[in-house]
Amino acid sequence: MSVSTAPETDRDQSTHELTSPDIPWELIVWNDPVNLMSYVSYVFQSYFGYSEAKAAELMMQVHTEGKSAVAHGAKEKMEAHAVAMHGFGLWATVQKGGGRG
Amino acid sequence: MAKAFNAGRRGVTGFLEPAERDLLRKLFADIITMLEPSRPAHEDPLAALIGLDMDVTVPTDPALLRLLPDAVKDDAEASLEFRQLTERSLRETKIGALRAATLDLEKDKLVLDAEAARLWSRALNDVRLVLAQRLEIKDEDDAERVHQVQDWGEAEDVESYLSLVYNFVSWLQESLVQAMLAGLKGSK
Repeated sequence: MSVSTAPETDRDQSTHELTSPDIPWELIVWNDPVNLMSYVSYVFQSYFGYSEAKAAELMMQVHTEGKSAVAHGAKEKMEAHAVAMHGFGLWATVQKGGGRG
Repeated sequence: MAKAFNAGRRGVTGFLEPAERDLLRKLFADIITMLEPSRPAHEDPLAALIGLDMDVTVPTDPALLRLLPDAVKDDAEASLEFRQLTERSLRETKIGALRAATLDLEKDKLVLDAEAARLWSRALNDVRLVLAQRLEIKDEDDAERVHQVQDWGEAEDVESYLSLVYNFVSWLQESLVQAMLAGLKGSK
């Protein structure tokens, strides 16, 4: 494991969630004019374990579309992610997936 | 003048002038004060132990609300329930990062390992979120307006002073995050 793997890193779980056929809840990260693009990208890489390319793609989606669903899975898991995002200073909300987007 | 952060073998290194350290110390202290709960933890020892706070309310200060945002959009009841379960520990997490960064300011040369760098990036980000609220940065145009204020000779009122501080902290965070991203790349 690399030095970038922190205790809060969540590699295995997020991969599993993304490939799960049953996706009931999602984590939405919202755009704001303050958070640096580099920082958002760093959070997506270091916390979710996403690749540089995937983190950049999600970050750009937040930036240009105003929000992005960055993780999917069980409600409790999404809530834990939301607290972690708030810890980083990103604004995230949880919602039932597939609906309001 | 501060030096940009660099990623090296010992972690991320940076240098700050005494005046810059004083400024950051004050900013970190201000936000710690904002985040410290005004009421003691819930009297039920088990509730206190797990960070439960049934008396929590939505922050009325927009800057504090930005630090502790609602977790369920357009659903005040669900958001409040979420706050009861998580807000106290979120406050403690943030205060922890701000205190750790404050301790690192004891030396003019900063040498941050991966965890310390992460705490610094969070602390600087929270400072920027609060300053942005005070400066009423609501969209990209507002951000650009603040970004234009670059000359310390122009610091003649509270707004221009806060703008300069915001721009300095933004520069510092960008430099830190670039070094951290370089570190992530190097570790793969």
